[in-house]
Amino acid sequence: MAMAANAQNVDDIISKHIQAHGGAEKWNAIKTMEINGRFTAFSEENEWYAIKTSSGAYYSDLQIGQYKVKEAFNGTSGWTIDPWHEFTFPRLLNKVEDNVFHQKAEFFSPFYKYKEKEMKVEYVDEENIDGVDTYVLKLIKSNGLIETWYLNKTTYLEVKSISDWVDFGMRVSAESYFDDFREVDGLIIPFFTERMFGQRDRILIIENIKLNASVDESIFEMPKSNEMQKLAFLAGNWNVKVEIPGRNNTWRVADQTTSNAQFIATNNLQQNISVSEYYVQSMIINYSFYKDRNKYRLTIYNGFSSSTDLYEGAFIDGVFTADNTSVKYIDAESNAALLQLSIYNITSDAFMMEIKSSDDKGVTWKPSYKLSYSKK
Amino acid sequence: MRNTITRFYLSVLFIFGVITIGYSQTEPALSWTQYRGQNRAGASAEKLTEKDWVNSKPEMLWKKNIGSGFSELIISEGVIYTMFSEKIDSLSGFEYLAAFDEKTGNEIWRAQVDSIYIEIDGWGDGPRSTPTIDAEYIYSFSGLGKFSARTKKDGKLIWEHDFVKEYGSTRPRWGYACSPILIENKVIMEIGGTDGKTFMAFDKSNGNIVWNNGVGPAGYNSPLMMSVEGQNQFIFVNGKDISSYNLQGDTLWTYQLPFAIPIAMPVLIGSNKLFFSQITSGFVIIQVESNKATEVLRGGEMKNDFMTCVYHDGYIYGYHIAALRCISAETGEVKWSKRGFGKGSLILVDGKLIILSDKGKLAIAKASPDAYQELGTVQSIEGSITWTAPSFTDGKVYVRNQTEMACIKLN
Repeated sequence: MAMAANAQNVDDIISKHIQAHGGAEKWNAIKTMEINGRFTAFSEENEWYAIKTSSGAYYSDLQIGQYKVKEAFNGTSGWTIDPWHEFTFPRLLNKVEDNVFHQKAEFFSPFYKYKEKEMKVEYVDEENIDGVDTYVLKLIKSNGLIETWYLNKTTYLEVKSISDWVDFGMRVSAESYFDDFREVDGLIIPFFTERMFGQRDRILIIENIKLNASVDESIFEMPKSNEMQKLAFLAGNWNVKVEIPGRNNTWRVADQTTSNAQFIATNNLQQNISVSEYYVQSMIINYSFYKDRNKYRLTIYNGFSSSTDLYEGAFIDGVFTADNTSVKYIDAESNAALLQLSIYNITSDAFMMEIKSSDDKGVTWKPSYKLSYSKK
Repeated sequence: MRNTITRFYLSVLFIFGVITIGYSQTEPALSWTQYRGQNRAGASAEKLTEKDWVNSKPEMLWKKNIGSGFSELIISEGVIYTMFSEKIDSLSGFEYLAAFDEKTGNEIWRAQVDSIYIEIDGWGDGPRSTPTIDAEYIYSFSGLGKFSARTKKDGKLIWEHDFVKEYGSTRPRWGYACSPILIENKVIMEIGGTDGKTFMAFDKSNGNIVWNNGVGPAGYNSPLMMSVEGQNQFIFVNGKDISSYNLQGDTLWTYQLPFAIPIAMPVLIGSNKLFFSQITSGFVIIQVESNKATEVLRGGEMKNDFMTCVYHDGYIYGYHIAALRCISAETGEVKWSKRGFGKGSLILVDGKLIILSDKGKLAIAKASPDAYQELGTVQSIEGSITWTAPSFTDGKVYVRNQTEMACIKLN
């Protein structure tokens, strides 16, 4: 009997909570929310921009100290570029962070459409929070995680929540406080949220909300790092003329072939090419960027020798050059042939690639192949 | 043996009334001469006349620009002393010790004390330590570890020690922060040096080493003076370790905290209890009797980051992460919480809390466990990262942050 009363109480409280926010009908018409506001971290206030969608996607662009932080979530997975955490390149969110971004993506509280989201709610008790009498509700999410919500007994608006949050990729408990509720086109939205987790104190202040603004969905896609964007010209299908050194510093055509290159991961571009000169030299080249050395790293698989070698390089004055002279093996001298790959004369539909070899540990280089790429 | 002699000597002094006010440092009337004021309690003994600060805002007497730094403003005989930094470019600059006219905020003199400590994340460059003054000299400590004595009159250098070069100290991640404390003819510091030079006492007139003791790297805490059962003693926090030394540098007792590296200072409760708090774990209160420390209370209800609590009439007031709180010093029970000041600071004046938010809002509230009762507010200084606690003397509050300092009249 008590359980039934509580269940009835929960439905009634949540119904009034949704109504207090403007009602489900109005919220059902909202597809996107574009927010401009202020974000405080480490006692310093800076600009904050965010997008939320009805599909549970979230994007935000904010400033922590002197670092610009971007983060996005498509409703299932997400990424962040967070130089404050020393991630100057995009990285995927972990599962703890996914849970946080589900919370960030909520239009207001998780009780809106909570049954559709396979959440359960239990009535806990009543409690006074900072002078406000509240109903305490336990929210059990579909993944089993639990949040505690404190709804104002008079207004039914949220006062506080306790939920899992994240700091340095690790799960921490957060207390969130909601205030300054304002009406925007009939919807009631908290313009002030303060969140304390671990030793952090974060404040979000909304200054302006634009409802149902058009959103470019690509903003939620994980971007390539700045360094890999420089190699994006390689992607595509190419006709390739293969030349080898002839007499008197001339080149002679050895083969006409094709090549395909595409991103196989956000920051990994793979190029396939097969060259026939006496024997077939099929190669798979993977391009990536290694931040710790601030260098590009390439693995080149040679089908003829069935071996993979590691190259390291950089863009200098518009010419990309990488070689395998940097790789040292601790137990033996490397027997790998020393090769250098350079890419130059880069335009939107063509580029040149040259492969050189060295007999003196990279002091001097002799031309081996010249490949002229033109877009198919 | 040395302890026994020391105790005997101190007993004789006590009997003959040489030490008449326990460990209290003699401070001129109407002054705030060191970090957290007299006895490092974050409190002033002056009277504060209660006014209608809601309808009649506290009067701003002056406001001035100042370079980045976290040093409190110390005030004596019409002069304000503090430290700040100025950058030359993004990678270089200098730290300064300076004197200002208390009535106008105008600079009287400045002395370059060291190269600038640059905080790589951007949370405030420059000195962290608050200088200490006596009748003649001012003792200051730079963010990079230079400790010096200068004349109050014009900042002329008297003596100087480089803790890194001379004592093998390693600069803590967030810069050196210890604020010097004076007792008799000595100035005491945490050095974090090698070979038993974690804590040192220097002859304040010439900088000669008087004693050294302890093991451990430099942290962010500053020594506290207290007197228990007639025994004057310094309390040092280093890592998890609490050490008590007498004035001669002999160890009286030690205690290991249940948490490491508290940044907030220990707070004296009554005559022989000490409150320690740390941001991730909470607080512990220990009681000192017969040179032995015993835990009497522990809890998670008050988690101080870098700002130290104040104690008043059985209750502790301070910042639980970023919520101003009052808790019972007997039970740890939370009496009230008040958000809105961020990671701010507070001091105690005549039973009232002088609260400074991390964005420069100054508030006056009753120090009462019954409820947060605000008596008035004023936006004192602009700009963020206001992490330096106010100073109070002669009815006026002095505040600063990374860009501004100001004087606000309350009485």
